[in-house]
Amino acid sequence: MDALETFIVEAAIPSEAGFYKKILEDNISSLKLAPAIGRLKVILRPEDSLFQMALLLRDIGSALTTADIAKVEAKVATEKEVRISIKKEQYLPELLRLLWKRYGKANIKQPDRWTVAVVVENPLKVAPFIENLVVADPRHTLHENLVDFAIRVTPEGFRVRYHLFKGQKFVFVASEDALKKEWIEEAGKMLEALERTKGGV
Amino acid sequence: MGVVLLPYLYSGGVHKHWLILELLEDLGGYVIQKIVTGTEVNLIMLIPEKDVHLIKAISDKLHGVLLEAPLTGVEIAVVSPTLASHHLPHSACDVAEYLRHPGANTNMIGLARGMGRRVALSKDFERKLINEHDLAVFTFGSFSDCIINKKPKLFEGIEVPVVVTGGPELKTEEVSGADLYVGGIGRVSHRLRRGEEVQALESLNAGVSELVGKIRTELAKDPLAVLPARVMKEIENQIPEIHNVLSPGPITLQLKGLRVKLPYEAFHKRVENLEFDEGVFLSELANISRSKMKNYILIKIKYKSDVGFSI
Repeated sequence: MDALETFIVEAAIPSEAGFYKKILEDNISSLKLAPAIGRLKVILRPEDSLFQMALLLRDIGSALTTADIAKVEAKVATEKEVRISIKKEQYLPELLRLLWKRYGKANIKQPDRWTVAVVVENPLKVAPFIENLVVADPRHTLHENLVDFAIRVTPEGFRVRYHLFKGQKFVFVASEDALKKEWIEEAGKMLEALERTKGGV
Repeated sequence: MGVVLLPYLYSGGVHKHWLILELLEDLGGYVIQKIVTGTEVNLIMLIPEKDVHLIKAISDKLHGVLLEAPLTGVEIAVVSPTLASHHLPHSACDVAEYLRHPGANTNMIGLARGMGRRVALSKDFERKLINEHDLAVFTFGSFSDCIINKKPKLFEGIEVPVVVTGGPELKTEEVSGADLYVGGIGRVSHRLRRGEEVQALESLNAGVSELVGKIRTELAKDPLAVLPARVMKEIENQIPEIHNVLSPGPITLQLKGLRVKLPYEAFHKRVENLEFDEGVFLSELANISRSKMKNYILIKIKYKSDVGFSI
């Protein structure tokens, strides 16, 4: 599944669907969701105060450990420290936050942009532990971002919400009145239809 | 009286800009607002009609730009359904910012419960606050059904002219209660800078200027007892504390009055006792009350027909 290979917005008035597509695009880009979403369909029925969204996620990476983003070495000869040489800088803030919390800011040194040194008593023991530390979990942040995305794109007055997030599937229905069962079922069918579609549109 | 004052905006360097200020004072014009940003200065002023060319000559000499600013001395309320990220900062802030280009002072007002269709409503306090302005611009969303059928209930109790912006292209008559509808400015999540969006903002400015022009023509038939700009100058002369106020536009001009950004309790007596050269006090010419905005002083000037004379 390619990123955003299906992106459909339907409304009774085509130009209004166009406005909404733009809002969705802007929010996808500001939450950096574009690589994560495979297929997306939104149906707008302002006359019924109804917003329905179904989306299929692409394969998302598994949890990242320090070993995935850096090289970890235990230095015992000169100073007692664990030296971490960063390979992927984008996860550095998360890693630092974890290390600060565990070993204290005073024991973390950053001699340059690509190096983090942790001063510890027994580096040989600590190095494997740091290596296996889970630094970032894309699934967790994705869940947060997806919920944020759904709330941001829904018309603000539609405060009665239903959402289902299971594996790669996400369904969201919102209205300002009590939700009808058939609305949720319709959204479920939208999702099934999305699963059958292959690319295009 | 009898002098017609025209609103202009001077934009140029700080260097020697006081030449303009001095000349304007000699000519009997008024500086409404002076905004200095670094080495640049923006002067919003009222210039006597027959002397505009004199100011223009100095402005050319200083390599500045003198532009007509039709919304000078107009305070506009830009009303957004709520303050949530759905409506702010785009597009309501862009609307407010663009209205400032021709000289207007804008205040952003986010209603507490203005969102939605059936549930949208405004509070008495909010309506009173909006009514303190000269004009209200409501920034709505992208659905014509909402704008035509549901949102106009927010205009109930609004006594000032109402301008509505929204996504779809509708006719003004379709939106009941609106004096002007401008399309192409709906709910967006990005800054309005594409060609058609800027075009829509420009047509909003043109429409609002026309609306203000009509109000001014009405006002010319039964003029105010005293020009708001003159009251402003007297406040600056007689209440020096106004110079210590840090708000942008410590005295905000309106078409029919002014908002003075000083605390009501401490200063309303002094504002009421403001004396003009003719020996008249401001309290004879205007209603002075506590503003709904913070604790400011609101001055609404009476008409010549009510007072019996004008100065």
